[in-house]
Amino acid sequence: MIKRLLPFLALLTLFVTLSIASPSFLTSQNLSSVVRQTAVFNTLALGMTLIIISGGIDLSVGSIVALGGLGGTMAMAKGVPIPLGVLLGIATGLLCGLLNGILITQLRIIPFIVTLGMMGVLRGFALIISDGMPVHDVPKGFQFLGEGTVFGFPFVLVVLIACAALVHFILEHTRLGRYVFAIGSNAEAAVYAGIPVNFHTVAIYALCGGLAGLAGLIEASRLSTGQPTAGQGYELQAIAAVVIGGGSLRGGEGTVIGTLVGGFIMGLLANGSDLLGINPYVQQALIGAMIIVFVAVDEFRKRRVPS
Amino acid sequence: MLLQMKGVEKRFGGVTALRQGDLEIRAGEVHLVMGENGAGKSTMMKIIAGMQKRDGGAMIWQGQTVDFENPKQAAQMGIAMVHQESLLAPHLSVAENIFLGREIPGPLGTVNRRKMLAEAARLIAQYGFRLQADWMVGRLSPAGKQLVEICRAIQNGTSLLIFDEPTSSLSEAETHEVFRIVRELRERGTGVIYITHRMEELRSVGDRVTILRDGATVHTEALATLTRDRMIQYMVGRAVNSIYSREPLPPGEPLLTVTGVSTPSLLRHVSLTLRAGEIVGLGGLMGAGRTELCRAIFGLDPVSSGSVEVAGRPLALRNPREAVAAGVALIPEDRQRTGLARDLPIGWNVTLANLDAVSPGGVIRHPEEERVTREAIDRLRIRCENGRQRAGRLSGGNQQKVVISKWVNRGARVFLFDEPTRGIDVGAKVEVFAVMDELARQGAAILMVSSELPELLQVADRILVMSQGHLVGELPRGCSQEDIMRLATAPPESGDLLQ
Ligand SMILES: Nc1ncnc2c1ncn2[C@@H]1O[C@H](COP(=O)(O)OP(=O)(O)OP(=O)(O)O)[C@@H](O)[C@H]1O
Ligand SMILES: [Mg+2]
Repeated sequence: MIKRLLPFLALLTLFVTLSIASPSFLTSQNLSSVVRQTAVFNTLALGMTLIIISGGIDLSVGSIVALGGLGGTMAMAKGVPIPLGVLLGIATGLLCGLLNGILITQLRIIPFIVTLGMMGVLRGFALIISDGMPVHDVPKGFQFLGEGTVFGFPFVLVVLIACAALVHFILEHTRLGRYVFAIGSNAEAAVYAGIPVNFHTVAIYALCGGLAGLAGLIEASRLSTGQPTAGQGYELQAIAAVVIGGGSLRGGEGTVIGTLVGGFIMGLLANGSDLLGINPYVQQALIGAMIIVFVAVDEFRKRRVPS
Repeated sequence: MLLQMKGVEKRFGGVTALRQGDLEIRAGEVHLVMGENGAGKSTMMKIIAGMQKRDGGAMIWQGQTVDFENPKQAAQMGIAMVHQESLLAPHLSVAENIFLGREIPGPLGTVNRRKMLAEAARLIAQYGFRLQADWMVGRLSPAGKQLVEICRAIQNGTSLLIFDEPTSSLSEAETHEVFRIVRELRERGTGVIYITHRMEELRSVGDRVTILRDGATVHTEALATLTRDRMIQYMVGRAVNSIYSREPLPPGEPLLTVTGVSTPSLLRHVSLTLRAGEIVGLGGLMGAGRTELCRAIFGLDPVSSGSVEVAGRPLALRNPREAVAAGVALIPEDRQRTGLARDLPIGWNVTLANLDAVSPGGVIRHPEEERVTREAIDRLRIRCENGRQRAGRLSGGNQQKVVISKWVNRGARVFLFDEPTRGIDVGAKVEVFAVMDELARQGAAILMVSSELPELLQVADRILVMSQGHLVGELPRGCSQEDIMRLATAPPESGDLLQ
């Protein structure tokens, strides 16, 4: 219980503190901009949650953001209808994830190495297909994904909640989710139990890739361009969100709610420092330090209260 | 008096592991500590060895109250422990593990590898263990690891040595080796605390016994005057029928047929047949190939020749998945490593191998899963708060029970039980046998590997014996321990090699 509470409390404290410290914080305009800004790496973090619980890691999601965004926008620039373009972007990400999963399970190389390599390969590929140039020729309606509003809420929030609900359902209520935990907790026991470990590993990398493709579309929609350089460094933000939310890089631990809370903590930290006029250089250091503090507190708590 | 523990308490969150732990150890005695799984034995030992801090009570070491902050302090006082769960570094060599934390220094802050290897080799030779100083620990069997732990514990000048179930994974010969070491230590005036669930091995080694029940010391007595029945009564708190006897069934159709199976590493033309309703014992010394046979059938190790059929259908022997699908279950020997997901709840472990049954269409039905979990907990009397507790927090014996439940729950047709009663208390052993009997009555075929001969004799309908990778013979129900040992130690017949 305390486990779930800790990041929540931190988020709440941050929220209250910022509301008091800055008059422009608690405005719907500012809050929606926080949601929009964090949407991309929150979406990435959802897929990363699955991967991290399985004891793996995916460093290539930042590059998939670029490739997914390009896949979608290039198709739309050629006149493909928007929904189909979006699907194409997601499918691009899914394919990249599928490739990650297949390489990991077939070559039996640890995910860190495979996805580190793929991070470069996919980024290079994004630059090659776009010739290093952004895709500007995007239909107006596409902006709705990242900038649109429904019933006063940012549309991306709806998308994010839908994805979160999906991943949560998978993790907590399906066989796939249970196997993800089992593989991350003791891969050998999973093999002995006759679980198709490779199949499920490929499935979650594909899923993570698909979510990264979607994140790429959100990014492209917000910038209203497809950028081959988009998403650089996002993989680390996503990992940080999972870890702050209680996920363990040793595998077997993590929750969707925790990850979202972790993502919003990072978002508020950035937003808060902007509002309070903290210099962006200091901001970087601050967020980095917060990651360490959170995980340290969490580890300390785990050692003290075994339950 | 070497050590006195008075009213020692230890709680883990809401769980009270120890309420009233009393223990007195004299120099030069071998003191047995007994009790059911989860009684608090390991917890008390970990407190003595400085691995855990007590919440209450007193600990008096050679007349002085002590508080150990860590195992190193306890070691400096001359207290060492051989652990129930292996605490070795799998990627390091045997020698490096033996000297872990007190490496022999070389020049300029380096480590003197050569000296460490030589020193470790000397120790191993002195005790006659079948180990090599430069072997990688991760490759060793559970028994091999146990021997490394023992080397590690005895090599510094100890005045109290704690063995937490040291022989549970050892063969006869190695068990005797451990006993010899224990006697030697006793003669040198070292105090020895010895925890075991194997009733028959006590007499040859112990002086006094302390019995724990539900976290409290209930009795201490000289071993010579304490009968087996009274001992069990103290442990369980009621009279228990610890002698199990099984009424064999007329065997049905063949369920598992192994024909001429060889592996590149050890097995040579092993053939056997298990019929429905049978419990077949598999005896032999450590390294005879019993575990290897189970692994080969289960698709874990590559097979160079031979074939296996389950109920008349050939089995591909490629991976465990196909074996599981064909209805074969393996309860592995090294249950902590290969069976238990420590961070996950007990319930998730119990249903893991048979998740399909509680997740029609891929969606888990939580109430159904909870029901299955409760049943498993009741059936094998797993001592826990509830099914949501993490499996890794259970006592060693209760972890074993969780892994056994996982497979029993699956309802396979062929069960390979590899040392099923290892580390399990008297009461629960009978439960495990009853479960095996019930499975057989429901038409399953069971192969039971065990190093405990009395157990094989009690439970098995017939006993197969392996030696050096060969199946060397079969004995009927009612044979003697000597019959088994004779077959197990005889060199395999040459005719067998030519098959
Ligand atoms: N780290 C822990 N966290 C929570 N509970 C624990 C922990 N370690 C032990 N326990 C609980 O304390 C009780 C005693 O455990 P202990 O390991 O001392 O039993 P034991 O007598 O050694 O049993 P066994 O014969 O199975 O090895 C058990 O109920 C166990 O679940
Ligand atoms: Mg124990």
